[in-house]
Amino acid sequence: MTASVRITLRPLGAAFEVPRGSPLQEVLFPYGVEFPCGGRARCKGCRVRVLEGTLPVTAEQERILSPGELDAGWRLACHCRAEEDLTLELAQWEAAILSDESPFAFTPRSGLGIAIDVGTTTLVAQLLDLRTADVLAVATALNAQARHGADVMSRVGFAVNEKKQELLTALIRTQTGAMIGELLRKGKADPASLTDVVLVGNTVMHHLFCGIDCTPLSRYPFEPVRDGMEPFRAEDLGWSAGGSIRFLPCLGGFVGSDILAGILAVNLHRSDVPLCLIDLGTNGEIVIGSRGGLLCCSTAAGPAFEGARISMGMRAATGAIAEVEPGPGGGLACRTLGDVAPRGICGSGLVDAAAVLLRLGRITPGGRFTGREPSIMIADPVALTQTDIRELQLAKGAIAAGVRILLGKSGLAEGDIARVYLAGAFGNYVNTASAKTIGLVNFPPDRIVPSGNTALRGAKRALFDEPGAYDELASGVRHIALDSDGDFQDVYVEEMRFPTETGDR
Amino acid sequence: MPVIQTLYDAILNGNAKAAKEITQTSLASGVNPQALVDDTMIPAMNEVGRRYEANEYFVPELLIAARAMKASLELIRPLLSARGSEPVGRVVIGTVQGDLHDIGKNLVGAMLEGAGFEVIDLGVDVSPEKFINAAKEKHATLVALSALLTTTMHSMKGVVEKLNESGMRPGVKVMIGGAPVTQKYADEIGADGYSSNANAAVALARRLVAA
Ligand code: B12
Ligand code: FES
Repeated sequence: MTASVRITLRPLGAAFEVPRGSPLQEVLFPYGVEFPCGGRARCKGCRVRVLEGTLPVTAEQERILSPGELDAGWRLACHCRAEEDLTLELAQWEAAILSDESPFAFTPRSGLGIAIDVGTTTLVAQLLDLRTADVLAVATALNAQARHGADVMSRVGFAVNEKKQELLTALIRTQTGAMIGELLRKGKADPASLTDVVLVGNTVMHHLFCGIDCTPLSRYPFEPVRDGMEPFRAEDLGWSAGGSIRFLPCLGGFVGSDILAGILAVNLHRSDVPLCLIDLGTNGEIVIGSRGGLLCCSTAAGPAFEGARISMGMRAATGAIAEVEPGPGGGLACRTLGDVAPRGICGSGLVDAAAVLLRLGRITPGGRFTGREPSIMIADPVALTQTDIRELQLAKGAIAAGVRILLGKSGLAEGDIARVYLAGAFGNYVNTASAKTIGLVNFPPDRIVPSGNTALRGAKRALFDEPGAYDELASGVRHIALDSDGDFQDVYVEEMRFPTETGDR
Repeated sequence: MPVIQTLYDAILNGNAKAAKEITQTSLASGVNPQALVDDTMIPAMNEVGRRYEANEYFVPELLIAARAMKASLELIRPLLSARGSEPVGRVVIGTVQGDLHDIGKNLVGAMLEGAGFEVIDLGVDVSPEKFINAAKEKHATLVALSALLTTTMHSMKGVVEKLNESGMRPGVKVMIGGAPVTQKYADEIGADGYSSNANAAVALARRLVAA
């Protein structure tokens, strides 16, 4: 028996040797395979199909995979080891990561700067010439911490319960350091001319990068020891270059500097009229206000908009149904990413599908299927189940309820908001009319502006200002803790329903 | 006694006002309060639970049905205690320490109440000590724990351990639930049962108090 085995990945075509007996979780991660539940056999997001070779079925896999899936060769990568040569098909593809190249106003300075959006799932970094604000190079990567849990709470659990905070801190510092090296190489830049690095991320990413104890973030009242701007020197982080390095301040609770950067990107804090920023990620952060004052909250919508917890859900990648419209003869017409046969449905497809099914009367405003069939076919083999619609109701209700509570606290109504910026990948692709039809956002569609990666854009803007320039802004944004808001449950339960045709909820 | 169809429907449709009025008139006309509970309210809540588990009802429908049931039960409860009738079991329920998610816990509590249990709701962010003290004081037969965060569910283990130390088990049973919780976790920490939704929780509770 040889000491190593050969693994071939389809459809990437990558082939490589690994030590016999290696856990697939370790060997597949660098190839972009994600482990949404952190490898605890709960989400089946890590499934791979065995095309050649064998992977034994274990009790954990039997619990979550159906007999049909097991027969077809599907296994959980998180519960398998490579004991022989294998050819595997990945259920996931590499995700489309939003990078940003839109222009903004700035005051030129000399030198080079790097802005990094430290996302829970993905990292995006850009190298800028600070004299012109030109982007010289871009680097993206999956957050290397993701193998230890997909969402922020799993990450905190790993840091606190398993006492692995130092490991997570080392992982992110090393990875961002390597991205900086990559950017300088790609941009053919002299490391000595790098004068500024700005990092933004949610509160958990802030703590893990800065090496601040995460224990207070693991339980109520979620009061961080320190969540302000954190300055570093390259040698503190083990980086080869950096100049003045800073992680921008958090806004309160789980709302981090990615949202502060979002405020900068759309100029919320300078606006004369009330504006709204909604980042539709797993945590769903919302900011409402104007130069007169800003309120923010996080609503924990969950990962449904990223395709998780939806039976045929997937990220917005090749094979994902991304748009659904009414088709001929009461049927549905779909657009699939990559013009291939549909393999699953992503967040924007899910919102479209629900909107069309509502209009066709195939689901009631309460969310129930009107027909007797257990699932509704969207495009063979992709179907939606009743449970999928329930998951969507939980997620969209949480966002809508968060917006309503913030509006209430600001003494504003939907109609008072001049523009609503939808940030993040899902916010960029979702059809605004469908989002309104299902009551995800209850604003007039013509006021909704898809805004892309506002976190990165704001981080770039911050490269042109003094390190402490945003401390005051950050402490001036009032954080509303929805968990101790007496009205939340009632509002949430109302917003779980879909709006009726007449427009009332 | 036959089902009072109007009350049954009022609960199913979540019409609290109607439920209250019908209960008032029924009691005034001399209907046995225990029979009202056993023959109309419990069957109505069983049906609500069945529809919820079958995904026909969702959180909003279940909540308004529970409100209608409670409106009616408020009128009946004093009469029941005056007659000295005993509940099916006494449940101390709460969301564990560090966690404020309570919608799932509220649904489970309401369904248990609708099934004839006496429910003592300790609210959210409940420490192991508070669970133990309440169980002791109220002579509970069941302790029901809810957690929605992977970081707080570990507090369940502490409650089970403290109950063991106090010598109250196996007289007091422990059931657990919430999105991150699994049967495997229940087995691991030595809880008596787990269920994934509010309707299954009722069946579980009935089984545990009968055991
Ligand atoms: C609503 C919600 C909130 C509300 C809570 C309002 C409230 N009063 O409860 C708000 C916005 C305040 C909130 C805040 C937070 N939330 Co939250 N929240 C949710 C959300 C969207 C829905 C939960 C819910 O109510 N479900 C509906 C009920 C009916 O279902 P259920 O709770 O599962 O209960 C059923 C069963 O589990 C079972 N059951 C429940 N308890 C019990 C008990 C027993 C004994 C039994 C037998 C059965 C049982 O029966 C119930 C009925 O069928 C979920 C995501 C999702 N889509 O599930 C996230 C989620 C739970 N939240 C999450 C997080 C991270 C948070 C925050 C920490 C961060 C933040 N973004 O602000 C805070 C912390 C709050 C705190 N202090 O505890 C994460 C947890 C991730 C993890 N790995 O732990 C989730 C999964 C979202 C996500 N993926 O990011 N949240
Ligand atoms: S089942 Fe969730 S990562 Fe494997």
